[in-house]
Amino acid sequence: MVTDEKKKELLAKLRTAVIQYDEDTAKEASQEALDVGMEANDAIFNGLVSGMVEVGKMFEAQEYFVPELLMCADALYAGLDILKPHVKQLDLGVKGSVVIGTVEGDVHDIGKNIVKMMFDVAGFTVYDLGRDVPLDKFVQEQLRTDSDLVCLSAMMTTTMTGMKKVIDDLRTKNPNVKIMIGGAPVSQDVADKYGADGYAKDATNALKDAINMIESLKKMKDEVEAKKAR
Amino acid sequence: MATMNARERVLKMFAGEEIDRPPCFSGMGNVTTEGLKKLGQNFAATHLDAKMMAAAAASTYKLFGFECGVAPFDLCIEAEAMGCEINVYAHSEDLLYPTIKKKLIHSEAGLDLVVPAGLTGRGRVPLMVEVIKMLKKDIGGEAPVGSYVLGPFTLAGQIMELNDLLKLSFKKPDKIGKLLDQMADAIIQVAREYEKAGVDFITVREMGATSDVLSPRVFKTLILPYLKKIFEKITVPSVLHICGKTNDIVPFMAESGAKAISVDQKNDVAETRKKLGPKALVFGNYDPYNVLVAGTPDLVRQTIKKCMDDGVSAVWPGCDIWPTVPPDNMKAMMDEVKNYRR
Repeated sequence: MVTDEKKKELLAKLRTAVIQYDEDTAKEASQEALDVGMEANDAIFNGLVSGMVEVGKMFEAQEYFVPELLMCADALYAGLDILKPHVKQLDLGVKGSVVIGTVEGDVHDIGKNIVKMMFDVAGFTVYDLGRDVPLDKFVQEQLRTDSDLVCLSAMMTTTMTGMKKVIDDLRTKNPNVKIMIGGAPVSQDVADKYGADGYAKDATNALKDAINMIESLKKMKDEVEAKKAR
Repeated sequence: MATMNARERVLKMFAGEEIDRPPCFSGMGNVTTEGLKKLGQNFAATHLDAKMMAAAAASTYKLFGFECGVAPFDLCIEAEAMGCEINVYAHSEDLLYPTIKKKLIHSEAGLDLVVPAGLTGRGRVPLMVEVIKMLKKDIGGEAPVGSYVLGPFTLAGQIMELNDLLKLSFKKPDKIGKLLDQMADAIIQVAREYEKAGVDFITVREMGATSDVLSPRVFKTLILPYLKKIFEKITVPSVLHICGKTNDIVPFMAESGAKAISVDQKNDVAETRKKLGPKALVFGNYDPYNVLVAGTPDLVRQTIKKCMDDGVSAVWPGCDIWPTVPPDNMKAMMDEVKNYRR
């Protein structure tokens, strides 16, 4: 069994590797965590994700900007790729499948990719349609995969209006699906007008919202585990 | 003061001379669906035909008295001339602006790219020259004719993955610096063609370098030198436009050598005015979608008044005007500017 001290050391190493965008250390520490018998979930959430939470704070404080954020994300993925195959499936009570993409006419996908990363971390099945996605493709993919969440991203005002069409179409065909929209021009007002369930206006907020979502999932996971232990 | 037409007003403002009121114009796209409808033109086709583009560019002045004629309407001219393929979304009935379909640089080794020979004969640069000439002939006596080019960093983001560009700006700033130098050369060549065709002013759009994305430090060390190189070579009045968060970089923007700077609704213009002094030309800064398109005429009037109260030198949008702008809102904006008393 891994000692508490070793565990603490490895979690700190994972966390720091993400914060300092150090892919090599993230890989090394992830492998070591598995080797000493740590739970992959523990390493992901209390190591990698904990680092990303700090990165989110630094981004908000304008200590970090988008380039740093992207490099931190690379470090997180470097660790996640090693740990993910060892995650024990837990019944979280959510189906956890999401269709995500940037709408047609828009080739910006950084914000979308940040949100996608958090879904990946949370163990969602992610159907990433990429960018410049024809509007009806979102609806087709939702119907094909029966995903419970659809995330639409637009960086430019000029493409944001396309999201309304997708939302209307999705609502007609599948009233239960949850829809999140995001991107620089998006506001609460726009989300309300378009009939979206949630919104994130930029990468900071996307990251914050995604972290909130992950944290609530984590809580659910802890509850599930506590129940099992009883 | 004798009445002046839009062109005189704008040129005098650039020259630092006294004018009757702030001009209400833009250096970015401002074609409207109202204009396209009157002309019976399809948006996608308008990007590829000189006559159609020139007619559309003149229509906002003719319909609403908006004080300029500006072409093109998309952001792909330079990247296309460099060799990128573009998508004009000809199949779509929605208003979609052309985008880059295929990038030029796919790896770090690709960063050694050089500007192709005969750049100004490639892509739609010759078409743009024609458009500018037609536009000058049509409304050039009364309204200033403008065009825009991208800034070096934003152009680099068109010809390579933005993700890679951002990361490499951090990891390999020397290599990115060399690439930006090439971009600056390409931009200077295109701008010179536009000047020869007769534009009255040129806007350099460097929105990729906003403080929402890059730190002010990186802006200053990595990007500003190449913006300076460009503005040194532009001979007509020039504007540097950056959208998003800009309050921390306005001193650098002013240092770039641009005659004027343009900021969007995220900038606190009153603060910028304080920082840059009474003489600096600061254009802005209304939200061209949430206010001008989605707002009521009342909101438009309030917003435009606030821009002028805050001290803009010209009332000017934060980005391209989204074409579906209601005519009543255009009218409310123009009236507010004309009737404003400081």
